[in-house]
Amino acid sequence: MSNERVPTGASVAEFRQRAKVAIEDVRLQEALEGATGRFRTARELALAELPGAPALRDHLKEIRAATLAALAGHLERFEANAQAAGAHVHWARDAAEAREIVTEIARTHGVSLATKSKSMATEEIALNEALQAAGVEPVETDLGEWIIQLAEEPPYHIIAPAIHKTRDQVAALFEAEQGAPLPSDDIPVLTEQARRRLRQRFLAAGMGISGGNIAVAETGSVVLVTNEGNGRMVTSLPPVHVAVIGIEKVAPTWEAAAAWLALLARSATGQPLSIYTSVITGPARPEDADGPEEVHIVLLDNGRSRLPGTNYEEVLQCIRCGACVNICPVYREAGGHAYGSPYSGPIGAVISPLLFGLEAYGGLPHASSLCGACLDVCPVRIDLPRMLLDLRADEVETGLTSRPEQMIEGAAAFILDHERLLAAVRGTLSRLQIPVVAEGRLRIPESLNPAGKRQLPALAEKSFHQLWAEGIGDVDPADEPADNHGKR
Amino acid sequence: MEEQKEVALFATCIVDQIMPEVGVATVHLLRRAGYEVTFPAGQTCCGQPFFNSGFREQARRLARRTIDVFAGGPPVVLPSGSCTTMIRTEYAELLADEPNYHYRARRLAAKSYELSEFLVQEAGWKPEANTGAPTVTYHDSCHMCRMLGLGNEPRQLLDQAGCNVVEMAESDRCCGFGGVFSIRMPEVSNAMTADKVCQAEDTAAEWLVTADPGCLMQMRGLAGERPQVSHLAVVLEEVTRP
Amino acid sequence: MTSARDEILGRLHERPVNGEDQLPPPWQSRRQFPDLAARFEEALTAAKGEVKRVADLPAALEEIGRLLSSLDAERVVINGAPAPLDEVTWEERFPGCRWHIAGQSEGALRAFCAEADVGISSADAALAETGSIVVQSGPGRSRLATLLPPVHIALVPGERLTADLFTWVAGRGEAEFPANLVLISGPSKTADIEQTLAIGVHGPKRLIVILYGGKQPHFTIGQ
Repeated sequence: MSNERVPTGASVAEFRQRAKVAIEDVRLQEALEGATGRFRTARELALAELPGAPALRDHLKEIRAATLAALAGHLERFEANAQAAGAHVHWARDAAEAREIVTEIARTHGVSLATKSKSMATEEIALNEALQAAGVEPVETDLGEWIIQLAEEPPYHIIAPAIHKTRDQVAALFEAEQGAPLPSDDIPVLTEQARRRLRQRFLAAGMGISGGNIAVAETGSVVLVTNEGNGRMVTSLPPVHVAVIGIEKVAPTWEAAAAWLALLARSATGQPLSIYTSVITGPARPEDADGPEEVHIVLLDNGRSRLPGTNYEEVLQCIRCGACVNICPVYREAGGHAYGSPYSGPIGAVISPLLFGLEAYGGLPHASSLCGACLDVCPVRIDLPRMLLDLRADEVETGLTSRPEQMIEGAAAFILDHERLLAAVRGTLSRLQIPVVAEGRLRIPESLNPAGKRQLPALAEKSFHQLWAEGIGDVDPADEPADNHGKR
Repeated sequence: MEEQKEVALFATCIVDQIMPEVGVATVHLLRRAGYEVTFPAGQTCCGQPFFNSGFREQARRLARRTIDVFAGGPPVVLPSGSCTTMIRTEYAELLADEPNYHYRARRLAAKSYELSEFLVQEAGWKPEANTGAPTVTYHDSCHMCRMLGLGNEPRQLLDQAGCNVVEMAESDRCCGFGGVFSIRMPEVSNAMTADKVCQAEDTAAEWLVTADPGCLMQMRGLAGERPQVSHLAVVLEEVTRP
Repeated sequence: MTSARDEILGRLHERPVNGEDQLPPPWQSRRQFPDLAARFEEALTAAKGEVKRVADLPAALEEIGRLLSSLDAERVVINGAPAPLDEVTWEERFPGCRWHIAGQSEGALRAFCAEADVGISSADAALAETGSIVVQSGPGRSRLATLLPPVHIALVPGERLTADLFTWVAGRGEAEFPANLVLISGPSKTADIEQTLAIGVHGPKRLIVILYGGKQPHFTIGQ
C-alpha cells in the first residue's frame, strides 16, 4: 500500500489549481463547512464555560515563550528523566535521520507489522514509505488516518484527516480492504468494521508508533491524546513503542502541561479533555501487569532549531490544536490538499515554508487575505498574519518574486509617488476604459479578467482630487456627482 | 474664543480613483459634525498594497510621502479601516531605521482616525435621523474589527441615524478582498465573497454597509440586486441629509 | 562529526535569549464546585459515559452485580489494585462469571482481556470538571483490562474526587509517575466519518463509573 505523504509543495499556481477543484466540489464544500462549523461552535462554547479562559491563554503563552527561550535545557532534562524511567531517547536532525532511526528499531526487533496512532510528525517525515521499503507494514489506526491510508491520500485537516470522505466512499474503501462486501454504509456498521479489522492489527503488531502531544521535562513523560483509544492500543499492546515528537513540544513542568491540556482539546474540538489522555513514562516496570518492554522517543528537529532567535520563533509555540484551520476563511474554501503539506490552514501556511523551504512553498504565504481570524482564536496568540507578511517580504528580498511582478510593483509605486504622473496615467486609463465600461463596471470576458468571475470596478470619471479642485459645496443632492454614487 | 475645528482628509487611493463619492460624503459628514475639512493635494496612497505584497521598500516610499503630506497638519480622517491600520500599526515599524520619519510616523499615527471612530470618539457627533432610513446589515471588515477594535462605532452611527441594523451571520468573516490576494488567487477570493454575500442576502437587508473601500469594491463585484453594497459614509450622509 | 544531539542542542544553546525564560507562577484553579460528584456526573454523562452514585462499597458491589447480570457477562477481567479492588474476593462474590484478576490469576492476561466481556478497575483520582478518571499502571494494574473489553466499569471512592487538572497536579505533588497513567473521560468515540458521532471505535463502548461514599474533600482555591 503506497502513500503519497511526502510534502509536495505549493506555488501560487498549484494552490489555486487545487483550491479550484475543492471549491467546485459542492459536496466537499458542505462537508468542510459542516465540520469546521461544528468545531468553531464547540470551541466557543467550551472556552465560554472555562473560568478565566482569556487569562489562561495568556498564561499558556507565557509558558510557551519561556520554554522556548531555554529550550535546550528543557530538552536535556526531558532526556535525562525519560532515560531514568527506562526510555531510549534518540535525536534526529532531519526527516531522513528520523526515518532511519525508526526503521532501524524495527529491523532490530524483526518487526513486520507496525500500528500507528495519528502523528503529524510522522506525516512530516514521510515515515510510512520508509517503513514499507524496510519490509514493515505500517497500519494507521486513527479512523480518519486509516481511511486516507486506504485511499492513498494525504490528510485533509490537522484534526479530522478524512473530513472530505462520504460514508459510501468509506464503505467502498473498507470493502476493498476486506475483500468482501459490507451489510451497509451506515456509520455504526462502518465503525464496527474498523473496530474489528484494526483490533486484529493492534494485537498482532510488533511495534507501535505514535506521536506526542506534549513531552513533559519534569518527569520525562510523553503525553498522547486521542478519542478512539487507538493511542492506548498502540502504546500498550506491542512490545516496542516508538514516539516521534517535535523538539518544540516540551512542557517544563506538570503545571505547564496542565495549562496546555486545559486549552488543547477545548481549542481543537470543544471537548474539555480528549477521551484518553495517556501519560507514558518509560516502558513497563518489572512488576507491571502489562505494557511495552521498550519505549523509544525520537526527538525531531527537521528545521525547528533554526527558528529561535528569528522573527519566526513564535511559531514554535503552536500546540497543534487546529483552531486556526477551522476559522480560516481561505481553508474553508480551498480545503487541506491545496496546501501540499501535512500541515494546512494558517499554521501550515507559515511552517511549511519555514520547515520545508520557501522555494517549494512560495504560494502559501499568499494563500491568505490576512484577515487575522487565526490570531484571534490561537490559544497561544501566535501572530500568524505577521509571519505571513514577513514571509512575503522574504520572498521579495531573496529574489523569489517574479520579474514581471517586481516591475509592476516598482512602476506602480513610482507612479503613486508622483501625483502629476499619476493624474496623467489616470486620465489616459479613464479614456481607454470607455469602450468596456457599463454602469461603473468593467465589462471584460472572464478569461481575460484577473478577478475571474468577479466584476472589477471602472475608474471613476473624475478622481476625488479633481472633484475637490472643482469645489465640494454645501450639502445639496443636486450638486452631488451622480456617476458611481450607489449605482450598480 | 473657540478655534475652528479642522481635520485633513486622506481620501485613500481606492476612494480617490474609483469611488470618489465616498470622499464627498465623508467631507459632508465631517462638516455636519462641525469640522472644516482640508485636502492636502499631495496625497496618493498609504502604501498598504505594497506592504502586503512584501515590497517594503516601495511601501516605505509611500509612507514617507504620506508623512510628508500630513505630518504637520491637523488630525487626519480616513474613510477606510485598512488604511488607518496601515498608518497606525505599520508606519513607525517600517521606518524604524529612519529616526526623523519614525518619530513623525508615530505622531501621525496618534492623530489618524478612521471616519466612524472620529465621528463617535472625537467629534461626539450624534446623527439625527431623517425619514426613510433603510434596513441595513453591516460587514465588520477585518481591519475595522480585529485590528482597530471598531465594531460598535459604525453600528451606533447607523442606529442613531435611524437605520434598522440587522446582523448577518458571521458579520466579521473576511469578505475575500485581502488586497492583491483578490487577483492573485481569484477563485478562493471569489468563493469567500460569494459566501459573504449569501450571508448578507439572508438578512433581507436593503443595504450591505462597510467602512472599507476594498471590501466594498470586492463585494460589489459579486453582489446581486439586493442588498446594495454601500460605504458607511455614503449611507450616513444620505440618511442624515438636512 | 558531531552527533545529532550535539548539533541540535548546540544550535539551541547559541540562540540569543530574546525573552523571559522564567516560567510564570502556576495557574490556580478557578473552579469552585459545590458538589464535586454532581459535576463529575454531569461532565461524564455529557461525554456519553455513565455514572452511578451509591452510598457505600456494599451498594457499589450490588450495582456491579446488576450490571454483570444485565450485560450477560461471562468473562470479567479485573485489576487487583488499588483499593477497594483488593478488598473483595470477586470469584466468591460473583460466581456466575469467569474472573481473571490481574497480577493474581494464572493464564495469559492479554488473551483473557481480548475475550473479556467486562473490564473492572478502580481509579486513583477523578476530575470533576471534565468527568475524568485517572488510572495508573503497576503491579496488579492492567492497562489492557480497561482498554480491550467492550465495557469498562470503574469503582471509585468519592474521596478521590478533585476539582480539575490543576488541583489534581497540585495534589499529586512530587509523587512519581508510573509507566502509564491515563485520564479517561468517556467511552471511546470518533466523528471521523461525516462528522457523525460514533461510540466504541477501538476502546470500550461503555464506560460506567460507580462512585460511592466519600464526603466532599475540603476545597479552597489554590489547593
